[in-house]
Amino acid sequence: MLRLSLLNAGVVGLSLLVLSSGAAGAAEYSLSVDRVKIDTGDFTRTGIGYNGNTPGPVLRFKEGEDVTINVTNNLDESTSIHWHGLILPYQQDGVPGISYDGIDPGETFTYRFPIVQSGTYWFHSHTGFQEPDGAYGSIIIEPKKREPFRYDREYVVQLTDAHPHSGSRIMRNLKRSADYYNRKQETILDFIAEAKEKGLGATIDDRMMWGDMRMMPRDIEDVQGFTPLINGKSSSQNWTGIFKPGERVRLRFINSSAMTYFDIRIPGLKMTVVQADGNNVQPITVDEFRIGVAETYDVIVKADEDKAYAVFAESMGRTASVRATLAPTEGMVAEEPDLREVPRLTMADMGMDHGNMAGMDHGKMSGMDHGNMAGADQSKMAGMDHSNMAGADQSKMAGMDHSNMAGADQSKMAGMDHSNMAGADQSKMAGMDHSKMAGMDHSNMAGEAKKDDAFYASGSGLVPSAADGGKFLSYSDLKAQKPLYEDREATREIELRLTGNMERYIWSINGVKYEDADPIVLQYGERVRFKFVNETMMTHPMHLHGMWSILDNGNGKWDPIKHTVSVAPGTTVYTETEVDAPGQWAFHCHLSYHAGGGMFRKVIVEGGPKSTSAKPSSVEG
Amino acid sequence: MKKRYALYAAAAVIALSLSSVPDLVFADAGHSKASKTGSPGKASDVSRTINVTMSDNFYEPESIAVKEGETVRFVVKNAGEFVHEFNIATAEMHKAHAPEMMMMVEHGVLEADRINREAAKKMQASMGHGLHDAPNSVLLEPGKTGEVIWTFPKKTELEFACNVPGHYESGMVGKIKLSH
Amino acid sequence: MKNQISRFLILCSVGAMVPSTVIAAEEQLIWGVQVEQFENRFTGDAQSDVMAWDGDALIGTDELKFVVRSEGEFQTRSERLETMETQLRLQKPISTFFDAVAGVRFDTPDGRDRVHGVVGLHGLAPQWFEVDADLFVSDRPSARFEVEYEALITNYLILTPSIELDVPLRDNLDAEVKAWGPKMEVGARLSYDLVDRSVAPYVGVHYERVFGDTLDLRQEEGEEGDGLFFVAGLRLMF
Repeated sequence: MLRLSLLNAGVVGLSLLVLSSGAAGAAEYSLSVDRVKIDTGDFTRTGIGYNGNTPGPVLRFKEGEDVTINVTNNLDESTSIHWHGLILPYQQDGVPGISYDGIDPGETFTYRFPIVQSGTYWFHSHTGFQEPDGAYGSIIIEPKKREPFRYDREYVVQLTDAHPHSGSRIMRNLKRSADYYNRKQETILDFIAEAKEKGLGATIDDRMMWGDMRMMPRDIEDVQGFTPLINGKSSSQNWTGIFKPGERVRLRFINSSAMTYFDIRIPGLKMTVVQADGNNVQPITVDEFRIGVAETYDVIVKADEDKAYAVFAESMGRTASVRATLAPTEGMVAEEPDLREVPRLTMADMGMDHGNMAGMDHGKMSGMDHGNMAGADQSKMAGMDHSNMAGADQSKMAGMDHSNMAGADQSKMAGMDHSNMAGADQSKMAGMDHSKMAGMDHSNMAGEAKKDDAFYASGSGLVPSAADGGKFLSYSDLKAQKPLYEDREATREIELRLTGNMERYIWSINGVKYEDADPIVLQYGERVRFKFVNETMMTHPMHLHGMWSILDNGNGKWDPIKHTVSVAPGTTVYTETEVDAPGQWAFHCHLSYHAGGGMFRKVIVEGGPKSTSAKPSSVEG
Repeated sequence: MKKRYALYAAAAVIALSLSSVPDLVFADAGHSKASKTGSPGKASDVSRTINVTMSDNFYEPESIAVKEGETVRFVVKNAGEFVHEFNIATAEMHKAHAPEMMMMVEHGVLEADRINREAAKKMQASMGHGLHDAPNSVLLEPGKTGEVIWTFPKKTELEFACNVPGHYESGMVGKIKLSH
Repeated sequence: MKNQISRFLILCSVGAMVPSTVIAAEEQLIWGVQVEQFENRFTGDAQSDVMAWDGDALIGTDELKFVVRSEGEFQTRSERLETMETQLRLQKPISTFFDAVAGVRFDTPDGRDRVHGVVGLHGLAPQWFEVDADLFVSDRPSARFEVEYEALITNYLILTPSIELDVPLRDNLDAEVKAWGPKMEVGARLSYDLVDRSVAPYVGVHYERVFGDTLDLRQEEGEEGDGLFFVAGLRLMF
């Protein structure tokens, strides 16, 4: 058993030994899958790595070449490697049961496929829970043509949420007790503090509202207790990237976590986002961005000062963070900011099924003691008569004088403002029976002027804001630098409701788990519009293998092209896919324990290249 | 006699103080006429022509060498698919110019691949400034060509850059090397 | 249902040994042991001190779980097993938060084994109350209702009040109960999660009381109708 230490500071990652750069446009690589020892500084455990290390090496490919990758399985169990975000023949996609049977212990499997794209991608095991156990690495594909941005040096910044428990143990624990790992639950001490601030009545109402649904507003991170790592190192181990003041540095951020979204910022430095999920975007300068599980973002930073900068990643649920350092010399350690306050979901985040609002007992609202709603100006709420909210008919809401609710930003009233739902078909909302809408979370309306983001429910507790002020990247800001496909109408729409039973830790699509579901059948040449309706209170990064997902964020022909699309609780997100890859593909939530819990589908593409289709414009760098 | 000297002195003081006031006071930062960065050149003084090609998001050539005091004609062609700017100024001025360009984007004047003249008129009407020609820069739609004739100053660190949001940060900037 | 049982049985025999080779393509095997109570109950009088336990082991899938539940009391002084119950239960989800239960229960009071059929409900009621409602079917039938609530004082310090009501439906003199004379157990246990959720030591109080004809019966035999205990023990989960 190999006992290898982690990477040294300053080294990007073990560069892979290229066996042969043979005939023009061909390269051969070798990877071994091994048991490795992981030491995060917080804990040690045995995990899985590539070429003796986790994270695995940085594979460098060239756009246009044919690659051959020999993967040798040194484990005592089956394994697989999936090339995340790569367009290739389906048999090379690496998903056991869909692309092939996996790689048996002792076996060497040879992948062969042409590289038809460029950018930052990653690879990982698609077997069991090997990826959370450490089986992941990165891919850099050099473009044929010059990129629309310049930089003097680059680093891969790969994040993960290393946990002392093995992936299969975590899954088993979650199945027996869904809140096994949640140590940010609301306690009696929280209750007392909140009662002091908002009044006893309001706090009791709030707890009862959530208790009625048997759901927790602090249920943002299913799995806590992890140590986040950047390039395999925790804050105490401090991964360091060297730069010369004045240089432009390209940082290739990859979120290879099992379950965790991170908010990334570099105090003192603005970041210009130039690539998302490997595809160039029109450059946008931000102060902070949120990277979902499996997503990648490439940013350019220009550090002018001769000092150490902190590359800081804070988990979305604010339970853990990691700091890496960008410094002009070795040995410097940038200051690590403190974690921010744990966010709280609101009623807006509760999976509101617009076709069916059953289960929400509006009758309970009459019991709400409006006299005790601290922070909202009671004297002006006189006109609020909830018994008249039948139907989305605005005229009936006359009794509710929103303009007078001091301190509350009415466009954010939980669950009421649908105008902000990205791509939502407003005409279908006529049938909403508001008389069944329970528990409007008034406790969150007091003074909360959180900036709206079209990709979060209006009034959501998850809307991020830049810690040090400034701009926080939104999906709406992403615009393709060069659209890969003609902008045309979709040929049909497929609705995928993201569903689940949190208590039993069962996750599904349209209420059906993977093992009980029929595959999704697509026709080669069509353009499918996927409608993701998130009926759960968790954020799901949905990943379709083998084909691009064009995110409908209102930018028309500039809609960005992604491989992983995050769907926030209580929202509906649309993507479109030109079905141009024959074979069968996996399509799933990339949260490891959700995919393992059933939020997964097989996609079968019928037909082949002979069918008529929209010709993709030539893929350029 | 005393009065005239006082007048001259006053004029000198005013002239001195005015010349030392930073460029920002005059017009918009990116469109300064102050001598620190040089001045608009006369066609008759042009000693040579330099062709500049703008692509997404970079310039060819990547840097320019001129002599102090020289008057150069830049023929700028936008060979890219997006709107780009060719702007001669100092790094600080470019930085100050960026928010203005951002405002043009927010008002719908500056779209990714075209300039919206309608929106520009509206912005001019409501805000008092919109699109305007400046002697030290051109803002070009894809496929268009423009010209800048500029007389270079002495000893200033100048850059030519595109201040369309995100372009400067992506590296669409080049040094102007001044020699004696 | 038949499909599920066969799938479940095949999986149990294979799944425990072979790690899942495909992400999500096979049913996840869920298994584990949980000991909710493993404690010493003390009264003022050492004679009555008792060691008690209540735990279960489960194996199964989302659709069907097999649970072995064991509870009992052991008189520490006289080293005598006072009561012991073993239940073999099959649990199947019937709603978002509730499972239907069917099984058998074996009792070991005073040397005489007793077998009952079990039919019941197990789940999470609104406001987070964990509920067990069982009907024990035999010639000495009874009904049992248990409710438990976990109050988080902090995320590690947990107060668990509980109440259990056992209602005999017929006289059962071996168990010293008379029909419709219920036995009630009320407890409040304060635990601290020492090692994840695996090991949590606790202290608390446990109060037992019988009512109605059962009370009369006990008093006739010179026994106390109720008892208050101070408890100290360990919660385990692995």
